[in-house]
Amino acid sequence: MQYMLLIYEDERIYGPDLESPAARERRAQHIAYSRELGATRLAGSGLKDSTAATTIRTAAGKQTLHDGPFAESREQLGGYYLIEAPDLDAAIAVAKKVPLSQNGAVEIRPLLVPG
Amino acid sequence: MTSAALGLVFREASGRIVAALASRFRDLDLAEDSFADACARALEAWSREGPPRDAAAWLYRTAYRCAVDTLRRRRTEHRFAPELQRNAIEEQPLPDEWTPIPDERLRLIFVCCHPAVALDARAALTLRLVCGLATREIARAFLLAEPTLAQRLIRAKRKIAEAGVSFEVPEPEAWPERLDAVLSTIEIAYGRAHEDAAGSGPHFNYAAEMLEITRVLAELLPHEAETAAMAAIVRFAEARRPARVDAHGIMIPLADQDPAAWVGPLIADARRYLERAVLLRPRAPRVLQASIHAAWCARRTLAEPPPWSEILALYDELLRVRDDSIVRLNRAVALAEVRGVDAALAEIESLAPRPLDDFLPYHAVRADLLCRAGRCDEALVAYDAALALVATSAERLWLERQRAALTE
Repeated sequence: MQYMLLIYEDERIYGPDLESPAARERRAQHIAYSRELGATRLAGSGLKDSTAATTIRTAAGKQTLHDGPFAESREQLGGYYLIEAPDLDAAIAVAKKVPLSQNGAVEIRPLLVPG
Repeated sequence: MTSAALGLVFREASGRIVAALASRFRDLDLAEDSFADACARALEAWSREGPPRDAAAWLYRTAYRCAVDTLRRRRTEHRFAPELQRNAIEEQPLPDEWTPIPDERLRLIFVCCHPAVALDARAALTLRLVCGLATREIARAFLLAEPTLAQRLIRAKRKIAEAGVSFEVPEPEAWPERLDAVLSTIEIAYGRAHEDAAGSGPHFNYAAEMLEITRVLAELLPHEAETAAMAAIVRFAEARRPARVDAHGIMIPLADQDPAAWVGPLIADARRYLERAVLLRPRAPRVLQASIHAAWCARRTLAEPPPWSEILALYDELLRVRDDSIVRLNRAVALAEVRGVDAALAEIESLAPRPLDDFLPYHAVRADLLCRAGRCDEALVAYDAALALVATSAERLWLERQRAALTE
């Protein structure tokens, strides 16, 4: 099966500077982690800050554009992996090792179309 | 055979057959539906010819064939649906009369109690699939409307199917987390049964199911201390059930129960499980909890003093491995007897009250301690808080009597 791992963290810990110590450290961890995943990783990337997000909301069939992410919360969607795993337990084992700051979350979502 | 007797045959066979089908076809709904089909066919066939020698084997074979038929039908209906091609059914021979039903109940328990399944659905799903209880019975035990519980079961089964929950018994490294999820599920399920002191209410049969499921689990996992301990806890607690209510239907607290009314054989059974658990891991949290029950059940007559010092010492040990508000609250009860009411009150007041606000024993224990400390007004408030939460009549009557004694 294919699973999407959605990574949520408070983006303020990295700040706007991509070369901040926190950002560099986490990036190095993700590179090492991706290498470790090998063929299990089908795709993945970090995302720019949620301040760069634009949301198209549709209400009663009418579309409106908004500056900012879909959901305002303490943690923001900051990156994702698309992985191949035989079952949920295997996906959980992969997701538990996703590099993360002290607080955050990884949501595991199976893809609708089986791979 | 009467329909009641048939119902009993169906229920006894249900867990094993549904588990075997679920693990073979990796589909909980298919397993349940096929078993229901087999039961319907049995009703018809057995009323003509009488039940076969091995009714369970007959049901298994029939359910298995129903499942294969359903899969074939689905495949013809969705010839081009790629996800159905994975069910390679042709290569598997159909079970014949001599095929034993494989015991896959452990697998099914781990599926139902997977941490990815909503906590409030795990116990219900286990009772439904592993114990074969009807949705109506489970709804009654959980004090829920039947449609609400049915919805919860549907959601849980959908989650299992769609998230790809594995039908394997987990790998050793996942074991502690997963086994704990299973045991907590049983604790919740048993807690429901145990709340009802009179045992005449809707929980009555359900406690018997808890005896059965803990027996199965201890048998399937003989080297796990906590599964044996869980089996012991349920037996010690059930053994005391006849003594938990007086002739007027009022709850009797543990220390005032007449040990002569306790069920000796169940206590003996519990001790055998506890002995095994103690050999494996004497300091595991549930083993210590079972030891606390054992200390109580060692009392022979009401004339013998309650074993408060021993209980307190065991709670001290338990606190070292499981420090939470509920353990501290229970420990405070023993503390009051050994070191006095003030020490116990200080301990209780140090607990953060908020998470325990909805916890009936917190208010009941606090009310009793306040009353004994002579702080009657505060005790009345605490009794009212407890009475606002109580759901069963034996406990209500007891609380009302305690409260009334205060105002006399």
